[in-house]
Amino acid sequence: MALVTALRRLAHARLREYSWRTPAVTSGAWRTGQRSFSTGTQPLRSDNKVTVHFINRDGEKISVKGSPGDSLLDVVINEDLDFDGFGACEGTLACSTCHLIFDEEVYKKLGPVTDEEMDMLDLAYGLTDTSRLGCQICLSKTLEGMVARVPESVADIRQSKDESA
Amino acid sequence: MAFLNHFRTAYLKSFQGDRLNKQLFFILRALHKSASSEALGISAAGEEAIPQKLITPADVGEKPRVKTLKEMPGPSTLSNFIEFFWRDGFSRIHEIQMEHRKKYGKIFKSRFGPQLVVSIADRDLVAQVLRAECMAPQRANMESWKEYRDMRGRSTGLISAEGEEWLKMRSVLRQLIMRPRDVAVFSDDVNKVVDDLIKRVCILRTQESDGATVLNMNDLFFKYAMEGVAAILYECRLGCLENDIPQETQDYIHALHLMFSSFKTTMYAGAIPKWLRPVIPKPWEEFCLSWDGLFKFSLIHVDKRLAEIKAQLERGEEVKGGLLTHMLITKEMSLEEIYANVTEMLLAGVDTTSFTLSWASYLLARHPHIQQKIFTEVTRTLGPGTVATADDVPRLPLIRGLVKETLRLFPVLPGNGRITQDDLVVGGYFIPKGTQLALCHYSTSLEEESFADALDFRPDRWIRKDSTDRVDNFGSIPFGYGIRSCIGRRIAELEMHLALIRLIQRFHIGVSPLTADVKAKTHGLLCPAAPIHLQFIEREN
Repeated sequence: MALVTALRRLAHARLREYSWRTPAVTSGAWRTGQRSFSTGTQPLRSDNKVTVHFINRDGEKISVKGSPGDSLLDVVINEDLDFDGFGACEGTLACSTCHLIFDEEVYKKLGPVTDEEMDMLDLAYGLTDTSRLGCQICLSKTLEGMVARVPESVADIRQSKDESA
Repeated sequence: MAFLNHFRTAYLKSFQGDRLNKQLFFILRALHKSASSEALGISAAGEEAIPQKLITPADVGEKPRVKTLKEMPGPSTLSNFIEFFWRDGFSRIHEIQMEHRKKYGKIFKSRFGPQLVVSIADRDLVAQVLRAECMAPQRANMESWKEYRDMRGRSTGLISAEGEEWLKMRSVLRQLIMRPRDVAVFSDDVNKVVDDLIKRVCILRTQESDGATVLNMNDLFFKYAMEGVAAILYECRLGCLENDIPQETQDYIHALHLMFSSFKTTMYAGAIPKWLRPVIPKPWEEFCLSWDGLFKFSLIHVDKRLAEIKAQLERGEEVKGGLLTHMLITKEMSLEEIYANVTEMLLAGVDTTSFTLSWASYLLARHPHIQQKIFTEVTRTLGPGTVATADDVPRLPLIRGLVKETLRLFPVLPGNGRITQDDLVVGGYFIPKGTQLALCHYSTSLEEESFADALDFRPDRWIRKDSTDRVDNFGSIPFGYGIRSCIGRRIAELEMHLALIRLIQRFHIGVSPLTADVKAKTHGLLCPAAPIHLQFIEREN
């Protein structure tokens, strides 16, 4: 029985972790109620962390830190960065909403691209030669200080975004 | 703690099973599309004049006036009625899509009784619609599915659920079966099923006078797909590819066939108003009967595994297992939700995969030069006799191209549905929230603009020169795109890749004199209109 309890606890921890991994900003009102609001402060062992500079759609630079091994999508979620619609499929390679654009030198250091990622990149809006999906990029010390630009937003065809679903 | 770590590893390894969702999606879409075309409850209000304040174009500038639905072209209600109900247009939905695209353009409206459907037959407009999706896109009205579940006290699953309920289950399942690496671990399980498929081919061809022909390939691939999905989903084998298929598996196949063969009637099950059921009872009865059969089968297998787990725990043994074990232990979903989802995933994962495999082998047989090229790639890359796993697939771009090209020419879901959740402006038209859209994948797949020589079978059109080489686009998205795309996609791909690699390694696949040109027909899904018979001739090495 103790085993079951332990497993369940583990599973819950996992579920909790994932249930918040929803797009950074949601458009449906019913969904917003479930968002987590982390403070964004992560004081522990910041020396091991990797600094990432995001440039949002307004051109603003947002500098945050992430742990090695975290994906850029993890960083966006953990830091509660407000990029509309980012990471809709929670990093499961079913969409391309975590599309990010890099400088060429950084792009070269990002590691290999899988076929599945390329297939999804084909469907990304505003694709460039140095585009990748944020969910597939894992932080490492060699990427310290990297810049990741959030591409322009899709021309929105929605007409009444504020209506609750 | 060591134990926990151990479990965690096992647990992470155990989540492989992606293809199911994707296929669910397919089915969903198929059902939705057809159902929606028919009678679901979108009110005619969509065509009413729209409030002036809403007609503000999103972008400022000299944009043309946004037109209303009233101004949208499309077939008249009467001609549509005759086309579909009199001339059985439902089996030609894919062709009608093409005709209407030519006649009315990229976006047009059709009316099926009270149901208005706006068809989007242009890759860029499809992209716009899918990119504007919110957190829980809706495919079509699933009331009849929901009604059955409520009646039997069953849960909805990924196909039939909507909104928050859907998102909760999707969030759990996508973490288990959507990532390619989580699905790659199923390679060995799938390969065991491929072993049996090959054996079956060898047995079946000895039954024909030429010693080479296998009749009705789809029947064989149906069993392969079912066995493959079950191996992942139920963590057990069903015996579909044995000489004597166990009775309970036969019962399930019967229920599945009933669901499929009565597709049109079950579609009416949702379309026929409740008050008419006493007069026309058959559709609803068959609908319920086939669902009873499908659920019964899932319950048997899920309960069996649950009992095994309980027994193991009572004996103090470590519990190891795959997808189902994980779901049962973690209880991220209730038992009823598990029943519903495995039922829907199995339903969605069989015909979709088998039709695609049937078309792929048919196309290979009809194009021996292409088959030879793929054979060369496979043998050069793998060496003789090697059994490929998911890890080998990236080195076999033509195999991936084969599946993509097959699905482009024969998208198993010729169209998908969406019910708009916001007011949208698409192609210059104002489309009010709650409108049923049909995304015309069949017609966009065959657009010359997206795919040069679109009618030609060319798996190599999908090959990239390097990682920045982009290959095509929203024109062919057989698994859909985004948060409500097929959850079984990766599992389906794995099953198809591994089966095709092995068939190509072992046999030269040839056309049989018994099979001429096979056309497609729509029966919910896009399927071969006639049985496909093929020859399997042993390769020398």
